[in-house]
Amino acid sequence: MSRKIGLSMVATAALLALAACGGGSDDSGSSGGVVTLRYAMWDEVQKPPIEQSIREFEKAHPNIKVQIELNNWNDYWSKLQTQLAGRSAPDVFWDHVSYFPKFSKEGVLTDLAPLIAQDKVDTSVYDPKLAEGWKVDGKVYGLPKDWDTIGLFYSAKALKDAGLTPADLDGLTWNPADGGTFVKTLQKLTVDENGKRAGEPGFDPEKVKQYGLAMQAPTGQQDWWNFALQNGCKLQDKPWGRWTIDQPACVQAIQFVQDLRLKYHVAVPATVTNPPNGPSLDQVVGRGEAATAMDGSWMLRAFDTALPDGGFGVADLPAGPVGKGSVYNGLTEAIYAGTEHPKEAWELLKWLASEKHQKAVAQAGAVWPGISALNDVFAGAWKAKGVDVTGFKKAAEGTTMGYPLTEAADTYNVKALDIFNQVWLGQMTAQDAAKKINDEANAAIK
Amino acid sequence: MRHVRDTAEAYTLLAPSLIGFLLFLVAPIFGVAGLSLFDWNLMGAPSFVGLDNYRELAADPEVWRSLFNTVYYVLLNIPAQTVLALLLALALNRRMRGGKVFRVAFVLPWMAMPVALGIVWSWIFDPRYGAVNQVLGMAGIDGPNWLTDPAWAMPVIASVNVWQYTGYTMLILLAGLQAIPHQLYEAAAIDGTTPAQRFFMITLPLLRPSLFFVLVTNTIGSFQVFDTVFVMTQGGPGGATDVLNFHIYQQGFQLFRAGFASALAMVLFGLILLVTAAQFLYFRKRTVYDFS
Repeated sequence: MSRKIGLSMVATAALLALAACGGGSDDSGSSGGVVTLRYAMWDEVQKPPIEQSIREFEKAHPNIKVQIELNNWNDYWSKLQTQLAGRSAPDVFWDHVSYFPKFSKEGVLTDLAPLIAQDKVDTSVYDPKLAEGWKVDGKVYGLPKDWDTIGLFYSAKALKDAGLTPADLDGLTWNPADGGTFVKTLQKLTVDENGKRAGEPGFDPEKVKQYGLAMQAPTGQQDWWNFALQNGCKLQDKPWGRWTIDQPACVQAIQFVQDLRLKYHVAVPATVTNPPNGPSLDQVVGRGEAATAMDGSWMLRAFDTALPDGGFGVADLPAGPVGKGSVYNGLTEAIYAGTEHPKEAWELLKWLASEKHQKAVAQAGAVWPGISALNDVFAGAWKAKGVDVTGFKKAAEGTTMGYPLTEAADTYNVKALDIFNQVWLGQMTAQDAAKKINDEANAAIK
Repeated sequence: MRHVRDTAEAYTLLAPSLIGFLLFLVAPIFGVAGLSLFDWNLMGAPSFVGLDNYRELAADPEVWRSLFNTVYYVLLNIPAQTVLALLLALALNRRMRGGKVFRVAFVLPWMAMPVALGIVWSWIFDPRYGAVNQVLGMAGIDGPNWLTDPAWAMPVIASVNVWQYTGYTMLILLAGLQAIPHQLYEAAAIDGTTPAQRFFMITLPLLRPSLFFVLVTNTIGSFQVFDTVFVMTQGGPGGATDVLNFHIYQQGFQLFRAGFASALAMVLFGLILLVTAAQFLYFRKRTVYDFS
């Protein structure tokens, strides 16, 4: 029984509308010639190295202070969009492909093209595939911050206990019929409380101590989209087109993720991993509940923290009926069009896109950098720790799929979260879920 | 003249809260009512759509589901909470060793932050590691997946809120009980009444004002349940705990349909107004005893 009133929540929106009419208030204040910039992000794993690098920036620009605002993925977008509506958005914020189209259309992002020309910023250093994604009609709304692909993180101890070597995880395949060598390997990594492994006689699927695999993805990026790509499924008929996830190749991929949990009993049950309340997968593997996890390259530092030194490695995702494949994505920082400090915000953005900053972040092993030449720095940082991360790079150079480009990102993201949670729990069939999300997301496209 | 001065003085004293009431309650309600006639994504320009939002919500099965869920929650929450609070109040309404300690203990949950409590209760109801299923397991019972089972999620949410707010309700009822003159019970005892008779013929009628207050405020609060749902289930699984207030949040701040969310808020407002009016009428018909 909350004292929070629904009415008052919407009333806030109404007040925001009023505020919008009255022009922005000055909350990113400047006092004594010092300007404070607000910089919003959603990944706490990346925050420490970025923050450290920003201290360097502040030293070089004594008139600018940067305040980092951190909100997790689920809250980030509702908060940011509410702030944009109230014209009190952060001066610089992380931007994502699934929201970028809407933002560029609504005119809330600063066009960087004239600034880039004026300061002669060399944009040829960025991976062109990444840089192109932030351009619309000759306008540039961001410079590549990073890129990521999905890999199979494994616990070295769990592998050793099962008598497997990291090489045994290479070249695995799956298929919708019997799961292939991928499921066979995961069965060897799934152990019940009596020490029996999945597939052995006497294995009790109700009392599993360690599962072979952990999966968790609010949208599909880290789980079924990868299987979908490997199974020849297309999420949309064309970029900006209609959703087609109710097609058989896609439904099979969704079904496979459900099968890993409910048919083969090799994946951590959805009661544990379902977002938004499930623990992150580095925690699940760190606690010894799963031997491997499908997760993004941005999670490397988290796995490094959750597991002892030399305790983890990264293998390639399995290949499906049509071959290998991974979701490939990248982020950028955007400058809010309504910022009161456009000059200072551009200075910060230049720093964030600079070789110096991206090198520092790569050296800390946070994310693969947007500047191509720095990829080796990132790989080298992890090699020094004994982790071979070049698989992510190979995945990026192979068959990849980006985030769907659509106006219906909000609808897809909100609906997919709850509906797929039900599928993973066995409360809805893959076919019904695919149809439901497909219909609702397509209905949201105007 | 004195009368005029008194009136002026009264309004001067009222002014601060009156201004607050108008500015932060009445004005926003009109704002929301106006907004409910627009289609607005919070960013672009709002466009006037008349009553379209209301037509859409009347035909939306998800809205009806959230309405049903809200009523279901209120029915789970209010009777349990009121009866439990009354029993506790009766038990504590006597001189006993450690009575004050109990009183404080029962009120403590009410002082805690609902969001923090939601997180703690999520752990307690965790199917594998949670205390509830661990205890059930010791008794040989295989506990359900509380928060991910559509049949259990709402009862769990309701019980968490019963636990949190029973102490507060108990406190008000206890104050009501202590205001009942002791002579009445003595006289009734001399007349040879049973304890049950005394409860139904003295305690309950004289407790009516307190019960009224508790029922009205708790019912209003229950219709607006949000934070526990937000933290523990996000309206899931499969919309089983998607109450009206959460639906408003989701439409307004996740799907950015400010107009539609406003229309929903007006519906919730109307619903609460109706229920409160019905409670007022019911209690007004009864006699009120005054011993002051």
